Amino acid sequence: MTEFRELIRILSDAQVEFIIVGGVAAFAHGSARVTQDVDVVYRRTPENLKRLVAALQPYNPYPRGAPEGLPFKWDERTIQLGVNFTLRTTLGFIDLLGEITAGGSYDDVVRHSHLVEVYGTTCLCIDLDELIRVKKAVGRPKDFDAIAELEAIRDERRSS
Amino acid sequence: MDPIIEVYKRDVDRTLIRENLRLTVDQRLANLEALLRDAEEIREAMRQAKSKRAAEHHEP
Repeated sequence: MTEFRELIRILSDAQVEFIIVGGVAAFAHGSARVTQDVDVVYRRTPENLKRLVAALQPYNPYPRGAPEGLPFKWDERTIQLGVNFTLRTTLGFIDLLGEITAGGSYDDVVRHSHLVEVYGTTCLCIDLDELIRVKKAVGRPKDFDAIAELEAIRDERRSS
Repeated sequence: MDPIIEVYKRDVDRTLIRENLRLTVDQRLANLEALLRDAEEIREAMRQAKSKRAAEHHEP
């Protein structure tokens, strides 16, 4: 099981620059759709990669679904060589995204994000409007239900 | 895509959304963790029940 709030707290405490996106962001906005992993967009500066590596190191990040025993080394070079990583850790599943389709990198997404309080700490979460826009732009049929729910949340917020 | 989404919106349970919107973000995420924990317990109970049935079936 993924300890969502603990993962978020660890990244925040380590001053990692990240933004919550995906299913956890949807849940934070009021969705009732269950998700099993945390998706975050992280900033790809050398300083931030250093903080990210140090923050997750104690939780043994490893590529999700990959066979055991791969020569995977969790360090800054590995992150520099890739962009998006789907990982399992001892705290659960986390997807580290250097960029998201139709949303761009951290510096793009941050303009459409706001601070939320989680577990006594604050972190950035993608705005509801941007989450809807990105999901629509990607246009996957499997997201239609989720988009409909997010739009319903927006309707409810506007009417309350 | 919007006309399609409008059709999907008819089936959205807005009562769940209204309940969730009454909570803080932290409370919503705590609920998500609790839901996953409950689901895992149910899965484990089903696994155990299945093993028990299999063991009983093989008893002489």
